[in-house]
Amino acid sequence: MKKLNPILARMSKMPKAALITIGLFVALGTFAPWLAPQDPSTQNLLEAGLGPNAAHWLGTDHLGRDTFSRLIIAANTSLVSVGSVLGIAMTIGIAMGTIAGYHRGWVDDLLMRVVDVGLSIPSLIIALAVIGIVGPGYWTMVLALALAWWPMSGRISRAVAVSIMSKPHIEALRVLGASPWRIYFNHLLPGTIGAVMVYATADAGVAALAVATLSFLGLGIQPPTPEWGQMLVDALPYLESDPRQVLLPGLALTAAVIGFNTLGESIALNRIPKPLTRRMLAARRIEVAGWAKEGIDAQ
Amino acid sequence: MIHFISKRLKHSLVLLLLASLVCFTLVVSAPGNVAVLIAELRGAVATPGYVEQVAEEIGLNKPLLMRYVDWLGDAVRGDFGISYRTGQDVSADLANRMSVTGTLIAGGAAIATLISLALGFLGAFWPYKLPDRVSRGLALLGASTPTFFVGALVIYGFSVTFQLLPSFGFDGPQSWILPWLTVSVLPAAVLSRVVRVGLEEAMASPFVLTAKSKGLSRTAILFRDALPNITPIFINALGTQVGLMTATAIIVEPLFAWQGLGDYFLAGVRFRDFMVVQACLLIFLTFFILVNLIVDLAVLLTDPRIRRQWS
Repeated sequence: MKKLNPILARMSKMPKAALITIGLFVALGTFAPWLAPQDPSTQNLLEAGLGPNAAHWLGTDHLGRDTFSRLIIAANTSLVSVGSVLGIAMTIGIAMGTIAGYHRGWVDDLLMRVVDVGLSIPSLIIALAVIGIVGPGYWTMVLALALAWWPMSGRISRAVAVSIMSKPHIEALRVLGASPWRIYFNHLLPGTIGAVMVYATADAGVAALAVATLSFLGLGIQPPTPEWGQMLVDALPYLESDPRQVLLPGLALTAAVIGFNTLGESIALNRIPKPLTRRMLAARRIEVAGWAKEGIDAQ
Repeated sequence: MIHFISKRLKHSLVLLLLASLVCFTLVVSAPGNVAVLIAELRGAVATPGYVEQVAEEIGLNKPLLMRYVDWLGDAVRGDFGISYRTGQDVSADLANRMSVTGTLIAGGAAIATLISLALGFLGAFWPYKLPDRVSRGLALLGASTPTFFVGALVIYGFSVTFQLLPSFGFDGPQSWILPWLTVSVLPAAVLSRVVRVGLEEAMASPFVLTAKSKGLSRTAILFRDALPNITPIFINALGTQVGLMTATAIIVEPLFAWQGLGDYFLAGVRFRDFMVVQACLLIFLTFFILVNLIVDLAVLLTDPRIRRQWS
């Protein structure tokens, strides 16, 4: 439990609304099969396009499927695919980043150039190119997105690895004769994984967006599996007569992404002091004023 | 200055070569035999003899390096081969569609610039007050709403409910407004934060202290001192966003039935039309490299600090 405390302490500083949204998303995603009141793919054309009623709390779509159940199951689909994408991407990224950070020199240069190229191309274009070559499918989508995503965690884990490697205790270990394996697996890797995980949760929102976008384009999750992006594109032809079926999945997705993005922003604000808070601005102003005064005094 | 430009041009050329190599290897490493695909496309039964003939004809039997050089030479001259699916010249299709995507990105970038500057200045003028909170909330909303959902919303709002604007097609400025709006939401959200944070940092710097001590008003300082100072940062971020807009175009163009490059690329991906995917990818990568080059030159022009460093 002692190890959990810093995490809990940090969580208490994070925006509550974001944590609640994310918690809801994860809970819905995890327990979706038990929470959904009806089977998400049972069609009933007699009940197609209904408004909210006692049997169907959020109405039905153009095939008479229960929208509420489909929205809940879609959270599960989204959670599982985002989890696998980030899992694979982080594994590649952490491996590449720690190797680059451990070795430095030309290995570092080469890997970081690859990362630079990967980061400069929009992830959607990388993912689509891979799907275009290999052909669509669930695992193609996951792998394509992971391939588009690893440079981000690669760059972060390299930065973390470099900072760990330059700490005195690593030098002390070297002097004591610790083997490279021991330094890498016992000291470098665990430290890096912890730090990168924090950033990865912030990335989850963008990953969820990417999964939904690919499904919207018909190249991600295939029907009949419900997914928010794919539900939206399904209902798009009926936008005029039944806009609710377009709005609901869109709103669900937007809410989840807002949750993750808010969390990501607060993480970035905690770690990178780039956007100045009011107190920092005041401190900086005093510092600048003091510096100016010193300059005048010196003359 | 000339030294910088020539160095930057060389850098871009190397990147272009790398990009072409990536596009080439991607298609070469594709599973399945391309010759069989083409033979079947021509309506013939893919007998081993005929497949061999096709392979010979399109140069599949040559060594990889030769194929790369041949392909690159053709691509530089603007010949991207023939689409596997339609049998049409890819270059002709590309030429037709480029202006559509160009219209989308140019209009989107202009709108995003206007909105982001307005939101950013609003936030910087009343920091931590209501306008700043509203602008920050809008930025979060804009950055988190999926582009396809934005598209569906503007179609529902402007063409279904109020019937003000056409919901699809590419004819005349009236039909351009909705796609422009859709494509500009995400960059506008991101850029407004760049403006806001950049202005705040500029307002905390010594030269603003000097301006204040001279008795200038906040408006004057914001526009005369802070704005030129964030121009290089803004141009840099705008360049990134313009590059990202190619990806957004892939979503927006099919939604509004625009026959642009994004739509073409998507169709290529759907039908595994390698020649189209390859050609579009090369065009996209060239576009990114070109935008980066222009951004660097523009930053050089607008930032005297960097200019001095290189002259």
